[in-house]
Amino acid sequence: MSYFFQLVVSGIVVGSIYALSALGFVLIYKSSRVLNIAHGQIIAVGAFITYALTVWANIPIFISLVFSMGITFFLAMSVERVFLRRLIGEPIISVIMVTIGLMSILDGLVYLTPFGSENFSFPEFLPTTPIGFGGVSISWTQMVGVIITIIMIAAFSWFFKKSTVGISMRAVSDDQLASMSIGISVPKVFGLAWAMAGLSAAAAGSIIGNITGLNFETLHAFGIVVFPVVILGGLDSILGAVVAGIIMGLIQQFASGYLDGNWGLNGTGGVAPYIILLVILLFKPHGLFGIHEIERV
Amino acid sequence: MKKNRKIFLTMLFSAVFLVALSAPAFAGNVYKMGLSLAITGPTSDAGNPYAKGVEDYFRLVNETKILGDDTIECTIRDDQYNNDVTKRNYEDFMSQGIVFYLNYSTGSTMALKKDFEEEKMPVIPASFHAGNLIDSNYIFLPIASYSAQAIGLAEYIVKNNKKGVPKVALFIHPSAFGRGPVEDVQKAVAAGLKMEIIEVVEHGKDLDNTAMLKRLMSKGVQYVISQTVQSPVATMLQDAGRLGLVATSFGEPGKITFVGCHYTGGNDLTALAGASAENFYWTTSYIVTNEPSAGATAQLALAKRYGRDDKAANSHNYANGMMVAQVATEVVRRAKAKGKPVTKETLYQELLAMNGNNSFSPGTTVGPVTYSATDKAGVDTLQLYVAKGGVFKSIGKPFIPEYTSKIK
Amino acid sequence: MSSNRWLATGNYFTSYREEQRIFFTSLDRAVMGFFLLCLFVWPIFIDVDNKYMLVIDNILVAVIAVMGLNLVTGFAGLISIGHAAFVGIGAYTIASFSRVLGESHVLLTHAWPVMIIISGMVGAVFGAIVGLPALRLKHLYLAIATLSFQMIFQWTINFMDFFNQGQTISVGRVAWLTGTVSRDQHYIFWYYAILVFIVLTGFSVRNLLRTRYGRCLVAVRDNDRAADAMGMHPGFTKVYAFALAGFLAGVAGALNAYIYRGVGVESFTLHASITYLAMAIVGGLGTLHGSFWGPAAIKVLDLQVEKLAEWSATFLPANMNLATALKPLSFGLVIVLFLMFEPRGIANWWRIFRSYVKLWPFRY
Repeated sequence: MSYFFQLVVSGIVVGSIYALSALGFVLIYKSSRVLNIAHGQIIAVGAFITYALTVWANIPIFISLVFSMGITFFLAMSVERVFLRRLIGEPIISVIMVTIGLMSILDGLVYLTPFGSENFSFPEFLPTTPIGFGGVSISWTQMVGVIITIIMIAAFSWFFKKSTVGISMRAVSDDQLASMSIGISVPKVFGLAWAMAGLSAAAAGSIIGNITGLNFETLHAFGIVVFPVVILGGLDSILGAVVAGIIMGLIQQFASGYLDGNWGLNGTGGVAPYIILLVILLFKPHGLFGIHEIERV
Repeated sequence: MKKNRKIFLTMLFSAVFLVALSAPAFAGNVYKMGLSLAITGPTSDAGNPYAKGVEDYFRLVNETKILGDDTIECTIRDDQYNNDVTKRNYEDFMSQGIVFYLNYSTGSTMALKKDFEEEKMPVIPASFHAGNLIDSNYIFLPIASYSAQAIGLAEYIVKNNKKGVPKVALFIHPSAFGRGPVEDVQKAVAAGLKMEIIEVVEHGKDLDNTAMLKRLMSKGVQYVISQTVQSPVATMLQDAGRLGLVATSFGEPGKITFVGCHYTGGNDLTALAGASAENFYWTTSYIVTNEPSAGATAQLALAKRYGRDDKAANSHNYANGMMVAQVATEVVRRAKAKGKPVTKETLYQELLAMNGNNSFSPGTTVGPVTYSATDKAGVDTLQLYVAKGGVFKSIGKPFIPEYTSKIK
Repeated sequence: MSSNRWLATGNYFTSYREEQRIFFTSLDRAVMGFFLLCLFVWPIFIDVDNKYMLVIDNILVAVIAVMGLNLVTGFAGLISIGHAAFVGIGAYTIASFSRVLGESHVLLTHAWPVMIIISGMVGAVFGAIVGLPALRLKHLYLAIATLSFQMIFQWTINFMDFFNQGQTISVGRVAWLTGTVSRDQHYIFWYYAILVFIVLTGFSVRNLLRTRYGRCLVAVRDNDRAADAMGMHPGFTKVYAFALAGFLAGVAGALNAYIYRGVGVESFTLHASITYLAMAIVGGLGTLHGSFWGPAAIKVLDLQVEKLAEWSATFLPANMNLATALKPLSFGLVIVLFLMFEPRGIANWWRIFRSYVKLWPFRY
């Protein structure tokens, strides 16, 4: 039984990290209807900046995390300004492809640095003994990751519910023309959405980097790994991202916990989310929490 | 005006002509080789230092005139771990008339196997996959295959296990690269190696291995043999470390001893896993630079000569690339010494003759390189290392796995 | 005033039929014929290295695949991020035959045109199956569904022993009237073989677009509800667009298997899917000849960047990273720049060039 609970706890831990990674997709999609496929690269860049600040500039890790979030904030904002501003109103395929192009460009830029093909790891800054209760254990790194995730998601939820800027962002995602007519600067909102996605990416990257070590391939693959999460939750719902993240974390843990090694199956944790995703999409084409688009001729 | 231009053009042409003529006149023969590998893209953390090792050693050969006036011109191309690009590079190298080919990934080596056969091209890949040697005469592994490494580790476990039959799990990469040795280890068990394989785990991009490790513990697994790349091993070790599962001495009861093949260990692992890499047992045929030896000195000197950073200089993949270049240079030297023309046929003959008294000790490996018509794996000896204090230290003497010959 | 049969002096169409002709003038037809003839005879006069012949073969195979992608994404507007998986299904059909029958079975070596068609059909079946979610899903959600298919394909191949767990399954050398095609004839032989396939598929696709089935695709892309109201069946149209794309991809995959004389999963990854999409975009989505420009542009770019990288390595020896970083960087930049400044792709340049030539020297 403790095995089962371990799977549940691990699933929730992994799932909340997924949720944080998925948050970036949702923030961007919510306001500007762009699916940013290069998000994985931004996650990796965020992790590298945190590492560089912590180890090379000797700044305490939490402060460098904040700095790194600030840097990716402006980085993502400028990416939006340079590459995506021109494409407002273009067909969806162009927008997807431009982010794919962006992915390659960021790849190229990272290969210019040592991070492209070398491995690093964050210095230990947390106790190495795990937190355990009743045969279930999680590490401090994971715990801190979960706490940061909760803080960030709570902050974003508050931001969208209460603050003026957040409300104007919601207005833009609801109806661009109407919000323009009441004086909201739509391009600014797009830029801000990207910037916030960049900020969440840096947090996600630093957490993942603490768990897996810093390897560019592993980190940017996360952009693809969390895809099912984003879609399952519905592209434009923060709550959806959280719920779907945890569901996917659980599915993955249960698949590799119970299927692998039995019936000759192996590595099901990687593919199970995609299969479940396909099935769910057949019944709920807009994900669990996505908004149904009403189409008119 | 017109006359001026004519004179200018004549001078230009004659200059080009002179340069073209004089270049081959001053130098000796140029032997062309090719290397196609992943400097960027998947596995580039291994490919990058490997490429540097090859490049530096050939530069050393040309600058210090190891082959007299003759030089080796080795074109290095990035294929980003993409077999189609490797094939294109290979065709290009073929049209350039290479006499020796260095390859990298398991996938491309297997894909090009037929071409190597047809063109009788001697090849040394960076992949130690035993499957490379099946139906093949021209592929030479630089060191013992992954299978031999895994079997060597298994034998070491059996020999050093305190009591009872050791229970072992295999932790492998979800590809043929990872699965390759599984069957051979199972064969070795069937052939009489007293060990029990409890489970074969294929990993994904997991953020958390707690469940897997607990499952292994509950099944009574004492040893985990890893055959994958560093990053998943690092994640697993971190989880195991915080669960307090890692054995501090080999085979400590109630704990799990983690051991792994060539691509799981080395400085890349300590870089990724930090302190969690402690007490990880690793086998390879290469020397490590933190233990003084002639090979280590040569490796560090080479890296220093060409301004490589510490990370590259101490990487076992740098040693790997350097060693492959050493072997290629050595066969050219031997063919020349015998007065034979340097062609792919003669180099192939020299490789086959590299055994007995003719075996070659590059210094960067723990044993001599031996090839023959039946033995296409270069260095048969393996050395076990353990991570202590952030560096890998050797344990015991180099050994040769016994069951590799028994399961053939 | 009747139209000149040799030179277009203006539009004199009196019926829809006339407007839909492939060749407007006899000159067009003659130029096309001459061009095709050139394609077939140039290898006799010009000697090309194996490397470049392989690149040319590669481009041509990609042309077939991109034609399929253009049908589903360009004409029918259904984004597919799993096209390489369809190509892979074609290739693995050949590989399955090779696994079951042995790599040099007569069927594989002698009846290869049949094999290629069969692969195409298997591709079509899978295309139709994967197209089923398109009945319910739209836009991004559909794109992700195709991405899921790509992932499931890769996992299946990697997992199953039958497919050699993704490692190369070799395919024997084919035979032709003159006997077995030898190593030095290999690429040139396949150049001709693919060329024949391209001419056939090219004309079929061109003709398809003139029929109501082709117009259906475009109508469904522009607005599927409106198309529904006009009596078309959007669901059926979407599924058959996927099936057609699957067919062409399957053919491309089979050709790929024969050219490389082996099938390994690494040629059919997500990255390959993305590359096909990039080719379609750079060439020009929703145009037939865009499918020719795109692959050529991307592959040539790749080669040129490699050359540039090598040249820069002659004076930047220690900075290999700089040279190799150029590849992804240039690939990404080309996609982004095209989307930002020429979203209609190279096909648009061709259109501009043609109208320039048509009016020359009497421009407005």
